[in-house]
Amino acid sequence: MSKHNRLWHRSLTATVAALLAVGCASGGGSNGGGSTGPLVIGASVSLTGDFSDSGKAVQHGYQLWANMVNASGGILGRQIRLDIVDDASSPTQVVTNYQNLINKDHVDLTFGPFSTLLTIPASQVAKRYGYAFLAPAGGGPAVFQPNLHNFFFVQPAPTVQSGDVLVKYLLSLPADQRPTTAAYAELDDPFSAPLAEEIRQKLEAAGVRTVYKQVYPSETMDLSPIMGAIAALHPDLIVGGTQNEDSYNQVKSLVQLKYSPKFLFQSNGANSPLEFPDQVGAANTEGIMAPADWYPGSKATGSAAFTAAYIKAYGGTAQSVDDSSAEAYAVGQVLSEVANKTHKIDNDTIISTLHSGTWPTLLGNLSWSANGAPNGEFNLVQWQGGKLLPVYPPSIAQAKPEAPKPNWGG
Amino acid sequence: MHALVQGIILGVLTAGVYALMASGQSLIFGVMRVVNMAQGAMVILGAYLSYQLFASLGIDPFLALPITTAVMFGVGVGVQLLFLRPLRDDDRSQLSVLATFAVALLIEGVMTVIWNTTDRSIDTGYANASWTVFGYEITLVRLWAFLLSLVALGLLYLILNRTRFGRAVRASVQNPESARLLGVEADRVAALGYGLGTATAAAAGAVYGMLYPFNPGSHYDLISRLLSIVLLGGLGSIGGAVVGALVISVSSAVVAAAVSPIWSQMTFFVVLLLVLVIRPRGLFGTTVRGGL
Amino acid sequence: MSARRALGPARAIVFFGVLTALPSFDLAHWAMNMLVFTLMFAVMSSAWNLLGGFAGYPSLGHVAFFGIGAYTEVLWFAHHPITSGYEPFWLLPLIGIGVGLVGLPIAALAMRTRADVFAIVTITLLFVVQTLAFNLRGLTGGAQGASIAAAPFPAATYERPFYYVLTVLLAFAMGLTWLGMRSKVGLSLAAVRADEDKAAGIGVRVQAVKLLAFCVSVGLTGMVGAVWAYYEGFIYPQFAVDPLITVAIVLMTFLGGRATLWGPVIGAFILELAQQYLAYSLGGSKFYLIAYALVFLVVIVLLPRGIVPSIADRLRQRRRRRVVDAR
Repeated sequence: MSKHNRLWHRSLTATVAALLAVGCASGGGSNGGGSTGPLVIGASVSLTGDFSDSGKAVQHGYQLWANMVNASGGILGRQIRLDIVDDASSPTQVVTNYQNLINKDHVDLTFGPFSTLLTIPASQVAKRYGYAFLAPAGGGPAVFQPNLHNFFFVQPAPTVQSGDVLVKYLLSLPADQRPTTAAYAELDDPFSAPLAEEIRQKLEAAGVRTVYKQVYPSETMDLSPIMGAIAALHPDLIVGGTQNEDSYNQVKSLVQLKYSPKFLFQSNGANSPLEFPDQVGAANTEGIMAPADWYPGSKATGSAAFTAAYIKAYGGTAQSVDDSSAEAYAVGQVLSEVANKTHKIDNDTIISTLHSGTWPTLLGNLSWSANGAPNGEFNLVQWQGGKLLPVYPPSIAQAKPEAPKPNWGG
Repeated sequence: MHALVQGIILGVLTAGVYALMASGQSLIFGVMRVVNMAQGAMVILGAYLSYQLFASLGIDPFLALPITTAVMFGVGVGVQLLFLRPLRDDDRSQLSVLATFAVALLIEGVMTVIWNTTDRSIDTGYANASWTVFGYEITLVRLWAFLLSLVALGLLYLILNRTRFGRAVRASVQNPESARLLGVEADRVAALGYGLGTATAAAAGAVYGMLYPFNPGSHYDLISRLLSIVLLGGLGSIGGAVVGALVISVSSAVVAAAVSPIWSQMTFFVVLLLVLVIRPRGLFGTTVRGGL
Repeated sequence: MSARRALGPARAIVFFGVLTALPSFDLAHWAMNMLVFTLMFAVMSSAWNLLGGFAGYPSLGHVAFFGIGAYTEVLWFAHHPITSGYEPFWLLPLIGIGVGLVGLPIAALAMRTRADVFAIVTITLLFVVQTLAFNLRGLTGGAQGASIAAAPFPAATYERPFYYVLTVLLAFAMGLTWLGMRSKVGLSLAAVRADEDKAAGIGVRVQAVKLLAFCVSVGLTGMVGAVWAYYEGFIYPQFAVDPLITVAIVLMTFLGGRATLWGPVIGAFILELAQQYLAYSLGGSKFYLIAYALVFLVVIVLLPRGIVPSIADRLRQRRRRRVVDAR
């Protein structure tokens, strides 16, 4: 045991030296201070790991906004420089990353990561150092619990309430066209099941009878038993509290079971413009509903410019734009507007300014409660003729809602 | 009652697929005394190969099997030669668990680079077709998957029982010492055995890809199930793997139907723990101490 | 000989002296933060080493106990106030003992199997605990996660209490290891690792020592879980019981050297610092996972016994050569 002391001493010395060097270096190099230099914005997104696809979409959104701002002279004359790092979808790494961004790289501002699971630890770090924290994603209920004053969730409503628009739509129908029975299949994750539960409670209060409800864990590969049980009960409405894979699986199972309900709503997955038709077959998408904040062809502030820039940068069509990119872009829009209004761009100003007023973005007009929860509402989109179209509320609708949903295969 | 029977049908059909994956896993253990943590990743790799051949060349996953099987066999032999053969003998069992886990991560990384993390599925024309038999839904693709698994298991059985190589493998499974005395080249058998075990992942992956969406991270879910199955059946026993797959698939499908899907995963593990408490070597195992 | 014997304690004094002094150099927050995570892994690797290294029972389920510790901490303080910020630390000894006791029946069951079968059984255990954390919604909050109030420490020295508590835990874990290596327990464990049946045959109290090793090992791991939960402020089943944490612990121990006092600590300092720093500065590259796996493989193939034993061997050879030369 005690024969390798020399190496040990050497490695200890080296470690200490390295640590001290690192510690001292951090004291010196700062790049944020001046008000004429670039405005450095730090964000940790998941470029690897479970959330990486959406993480990349978020990065695209941030980048598009920065490019457009820089092309038009920057914010208050300062060019935007993004400092984007990868958290590998890990809660430990996300804490390290925001620590490093704030205390090592001394970024001027921070934007949020992708998932609720990462947003909470990250927003706590930002709060500790007085940074405003604008998050384009991750609006599960727990995010608002700590009542952080510096936190703003940049979407129209907390994720759990994004299904409320379905309830409004259904209750707007004449009594004889409304569903009388409903079944709920809910994924056990921070948003999907609570979202579906919120719909269930509101519909039950309005007299829609619940004939079936089941929560399933995310590893469930086989949803056919659940969908089989639902099909046997013939409900008018099926609400899927879904993410991605399970959304496709639910639809596939229903197709195999040859059961098509009058209304089919899925909280996620069905609003993915490219992947969904690819996975379930384009002909089977007709009539399926989902919530959306941004949608192709939206007339909201800056949407057209965003869409054009997105297509120019990443190709495709308006239909292939990822809504996570739009949400990330909205974070930038909010920041630009704060600067325009106050002629200042610092964390205190952002925090105090955003707590009042409404802020037009490509997701619609946003406003926030004290805990960072947005006060608005989502839109209802529906697959019609192979396209996702907004159908409710009528103020933004581009088509009439199609009800009942036609049989599988169009 | 209807749901319960439907659950059992589903469980049996699914068991075929798991039996196929687990038989490869069990074979590798038998030949090499290696707990192969990479088998799940191999299955997903097999799924991606089928997916790619189908998506870009339009080759049906069933018809592509000779190609994918050959490729997976090559991958298996390569992994064995590069990463497993150099391991020190006195510590092989512990080190190989880690080495094969690292191989799994490596494969996951490669798959992420090539195919991204988007969910894929192999969507053949018949993927959504189904029959109603006495009021029970049986999907065509599941039935195909089940039959294919039976055929692949049959082939594996023939290889092990009717060929020279198979006899060498079985000899070294039963008694490595005397096998060596009888002139079996342990190194060659180990490499080919690992290759053969990996090759079963081609068929298993094709089937898996038709049944479920998958991404590079899907192997984590798979590996714990596979390990439970082979442990339940008894390490090194292919027949045991089939029985283990059946017990576990049916019991979890029944729990999902009768109780709730959230407890169905747990069934796997409870069944396994019960068996191990009563019989630490598994149902059909020949050895208590895996990595002697 | 006596000079050499004094080296062990001297080394420990220097090491912990430096650890204790480091924060007073006003290390930047980000550096302190990385050290906090590194210390967590150093404690856990040392704890794992007691069971996986000395007793030869390679558990892959330690993170199950990490999760139990994390949830105990969070759930306790869902019903009890945090005022000074130090209360969660006072609870640690109780959590350690509690988790150790929970581990006892599990160990009695799981240790009926050995080697790789034991590894698989413990993986299974990991998934059982994760499933329970998801499904016992009334208790754990399920997939919604559970939160603990943020520590009211001033931002300027926020990480220090966590850092010092972990330093104490590391000293405790290494002290136990050191005592174990010098006592009959250590000898018995070595006998268990070499050949359990033979050991039982010659009268070693096999069952007692291996259960002891298991309980102490998981108790320590549970305490780290509790500190981690308090530091993160919010826990979810998939993060509190994350298989990758187990993998990291095992890899660190292997890299540094199993069944050595310093091996796990050195492994943790190298790997965790490197990983946190590299993921931050180089992350986003798709090749990250491939590089990680390759490093992993290189370590296993080229340094199967770890850094400390390999270097010790080399030094011993050199000394022998010198003796031969001198002759």
